[in-house]
Amino acid sequence: MQALGVDVGGTFTDGVLITDGEVKTTKMLTWERQEGSVVAVASKLGAEAPDRFTHGTTIATNALLERRGARTAFVTTEGFEHLLYLRRQTRARLYRPCADRPPPLVPLLHCAGVRGRMGPHGELVPLDLRSLPDIHPNAEAIAVCLLFSFLDPRHERAVARELRRRYPHAHVVASHEVAPEFREYERASTTVIDAYLGPVLSRYLQALAAECRSRGIRQPLVMRSSGGVATLAEASMHAAFALLSGPAAGVVGAARIASLAGYENAIAFDMGGTSTDVCAIVGGAARRDQERVIEGFPVRLPTLAVHTVGAGGGSIVWEDEGGALRVGPESAGARPGPACYGLGGTRPTVTDANLLLGRLPSHLAGGVELDAKAAAAVLGDLDPQAVIDVVNAEMVRALRVVSVEEGLDPRDFALVAFGGAGPLHACALAEELEIETVLVPAAAGVLSALGLLVADERRDYVRSFVMSLQSAGELPAEGEVDLRYAGQSFELTIPLGPDLEQRFHAAHAARYGYADRARPLELVAVRTAQVRAAPPVDITGPEISTKGPDVLELEGASAWIAPGWGGQTDANGTLVLRRIR
Amino acid sequence: MIPVELQVIGSSLRAIAEEMGAVLVRSAFSANIKERQDCSTALFDRSGAMVTQAEHIPVHLGAMPDAVAAVRRRRPRIGEPWILNDPYRGGTHLPDLTIVTKTPIGFAVTRAHHADVGGADPGSLPAGSKTLDEEGVVIPPTRLDDDAVEQLVSRMRNPGERRGDLRAQLAAHHLAERRIRELSARHGRKKVEAAMAELLAYSERVVRASLSGLPDGEFDGQDVLESSYGTLQLQVTVRLDGDTIDIDFEGTSPQHAGNLNCPLSVTRSACYYVVRCLTAPDLPASGGAFAPITVRAPEGCLVNALPPAAVAAGNTETASRIVDVVFDALAKALPVPAQGQGTMNNVVLGNDAFTYYETIGGGQGACPVAPGPSAVHVAMSNTLNTPIEALELAYPLRIERYALREGSGGVGRFPGGDGVVREIRVLEPCRLSLLTQRRRVAPHGENGGGNGLPGRNLLNGEELPAFATSDLVAGDLLRIETPGGGGWGQSPLRAVPQPVEHEPRIAIENREVEGPPQA
Repeated sequence: MQALGVDVGGTFTDGVLITDGEVKTTKMLTWERQEGSVVAVASKLGAEAPDRFTHGTTIATNALLERRGARTAFVTTEGFEHLLYLRRQTRARLYRPCADRPPPLVPLLHCAGVRGRMGPHGELVPLDLRSLPDIHPNAEAIAVCLLFSFLDPRHERAVARELRRRYPHAHVVASHEVAPEFREYERASTTVIDAYLGPVLSRYLQALAAECRSRGIRQPLVMRSSGGVATLAEASMHAAFALLSGPAAGVVGAARIASLAGYENAIAFDMGGTSTDVCAIVGGAARRDQERVIEGFPVRLPTLAVHTVGAGGGSIVWEDEGGALRVGPESAGARPGPACYGLGGTRPTVTDANLLLGRLPSHLAGGVELDAKAAAAVLGDLDPQAVIDVVNAEMVRALRVVSVEEGLDPRDFALVAFGGAGPLHACALAEELEIETVLVPAAAGVLSALGLLVADERRDYVRSFVMSLQSAGELPAEGEVDLRYAGQSFELTIPLGPDLEQRFHAAHAARYGYADRARPLELVAVRTAQVRAAPPVDITGPEISTKGPDVLELEGASAWIAPGWGGQTDANGTLVLRRIR
Repeated sequence: MIPVELQVIGSSLRAIAEEMGAVLVRSAFSANIKERQDCSTALFDRSGAMVTQAEHIPVHLGAMPDAVAAVRRRRPRIGEPWILNDPYRGGTHLPDLTIVTKTPIGFAVTRAHHADVGGADPGSLPAGSKTLDEEGVVIPPTRLDDDAVEQLVSRMRNPGERRGDLRAQLAAHHLAERRIRELSARHGRKKVEAAMAELLAYSERVVRASLSGLPDGEFDGQDVLESSYGTLQLQVTVRLDGDTIDIDFEGTSPQHAGNLNCPLSVTRSACYYVVRCLTAPDLPASGGAFAPITVRAPEGCLVNALPPAAVAAGNTETASRIVDVVFDALAKALPVPAQGQGTMNNVVLGNDAFTYYETIGGGQGACPVAPGPSAVHVAMSNTLNTPIEALELAYPLRIERYALREGSGGVGRFPGGDGVVREIRVLEPCRLSLLTQRRRVAPHGENGGGNGLPGRNLLNGEELPAFATSDLVAGDLLRIETPGGGGWGQSPLRAVPQPVEHEPRIAIENREVEGPPQA
């Protein structure tokens, strides 16, 4: 059994190859042509005919960040052509009147309306396809979002069909196909992003497929934001599903490592150079979200509930005008990197502080020699411990957001620390949150690639209801429902099964401090997923035993074992750290 | 430098206020709170100074301390919730229900705009109110137990929804109590209190440092409000002196027979907003920022009204104009943004079965370095819109059109933002109340920039005045066109004629329009 995972990031491409339990990892700079680096990593690892090959890509995310998506048009109900420009009418910054959000992805000129109207109880005005204006002839993609299509998609389906007939070369996406959920702006925004990124992702995946064919490697499965993988063909159809595949893969890897170590409840803590991603894992499964804001645009799609903060090991430390020490969001990045890398960094970073506190080896893997003098020079009279305390406070706050604020007690969780800097800070964070166990995977520096390789195949389905739970009829046996008290606007997602109502009241009480058993419940959506489990893989690693204070060098990461902490690796090479009493 | 532990506790206090806000919004029932987030949450210290606030709505910013002061005088016990809405005893306008609880380290506060508080018209923002009593139930600081909840909601429309929203507010208070207990247990109460003091001192330092950088001097500004009783004058003198700023409304019109009056707490909020924009826009909200600011206004004037003056529109409309007039004065000292829409375009539709309240965004004035965004809330509000699908699912209303009002922003080197067009068809008989401004006098451009277009209110195509109430029948179509923002700097294109005054026709066949015609 051979399994290969290749995760392409902005700077590095990570690969993990597991052959009958033996783990090989690699890391190389990402090429301009991403498909090239995928195949290069595969050959560097010696993967020839892996039984399973999974891939995570940032093509969609980068195209959105750099606004290099397709020329896209937008079709909606007549009278609402400006939907994308009206947003939700809030300004971006409360006290900066002219701060604006990124402009919509479709120019106003290419936003069109069609006559016909669905209401909350069905058709109000019949659809008139003749009123559908001509779309810009160069449009590569068209997003369609009509009012109330989440309840009755007939008009929207007819419009999409007509557009596909008229513009056979354009990539047409209808909102009910991607995100059949209530609130028109959020649904339209999701549909537009999906259409805008579709042609870019699909061109990339075709190129990758061709590259793989020519090397005799099987076509990869592609990671999605939901933490599941899809076939290449499915992934090409809806690009928006791939937007957060990177962080999702890391969480999937963390969940597997925790589960193998015997922890079904864990918090994934992925601290990289410029940002940190955290996510709670409950009962072996990562927590999920139904909506995210990405680059200022709401995206209403199932994603793992990853919370991101703009601070990492490379973050720059500064003192603000009120005398408070601050970390990030500015980062030294990969170039020049922290001052101690000796590549010309001139401002103090978290890494410099860690080095001065003796928490980093003097050489990093890859031949970087760390320069303590340079670190001391840029830190000046800043106390390195204060720097670490401030960044740790930020991390504690992030960890609380995904635990305490979700009604979860961090003391019931293990902390899985990974990413280049995660294992450096984990012991202190665990102490602050009274977490007993810290898990450091052997592949801490490339855990996303490992996550790819263990991710299940997954297809998510959602059906909108917006009706009383009583009148909803029979529900599927498995999956989740979004429920709320009739009259509320925000739902709680509850697993399907017996005592649904009781479990909703309990969840509401846990989350908001009260339940109102007399109020009727409203069913908003039913979410189901078709899951095909990944074939099992064995993971092994070197045996290590440690007792703090200690500094360890791992694959692409360093670990600081604080005094009072110690432990050894388990059968899977995961370092299990506990407080020594 | 600030000790790191205090900084860490300070950030935990901010997180508590934010989490309170999230609990309130997500468990609330009325569209105005759950969809539009017309609410704020805050923590105060024992002396009644605002330590941190989860900011949704600027107008709540400076007006909360008076609510805490009013409750503090009643000597509350720890954990007891107290409620109030009396604008003359800590409130703003009646729909804003404020709950205050004492905590071991100070006070926790939630303020939410409820869809109705039993006023003369559904929504309790009657356009024609002349005294406070007509605007709803006036609640002095009152101990809020289960009986009090029942008594209050029984005097308001949709008592079930009111009860649900009050419970959502109380849920936020329970959360604050729990979190403060945890925080004190972890760091000790002394340290938490020291951190609160530091948050206040920190924001005061930042604002004072920034004020020191502004030119000293005395600058005056003027602007007007359009009322059913004639034009009202706002007059301000702003004195910049070292690290302080003094804002004096001497010369402003006396309080009037309509509802554009506001208590001084609302006036303070609007002044604080301007100072925040010009000094420390990214500073986390804290009362320390207010310390260098003095706000004065003669008693009994429009912006320091005395009971029993009606105040429904003071909080939204007068507050917006106070921002304009203070910026107008400061324009003589430093570069300021052009005027934005200067109104919140309050629309209330309702009957015994439903109440729909919405404020509609418009054009922001352009800034010295950037165009003004279109279709956004300007200055004292920042509520979301009610999604069309949410609105039509909940109310007997249909939105026929929702669009940018193209070309309504003023021209300029940086153009002003465009306003919005929103058309609402009513599907069953109901009562309309409109409280709007800038229907005649346009938002003006700055430094040679063009004016924005004034707004318009139309009922079945006929122009309505800025303030109007009317009984609507099924099929009636209300169209609101919100003002555009002013431009900044001379336009490189040729000058276009500037709209300044716009006289709406007020004749409405077969319909009653309350209040005397506009001056």
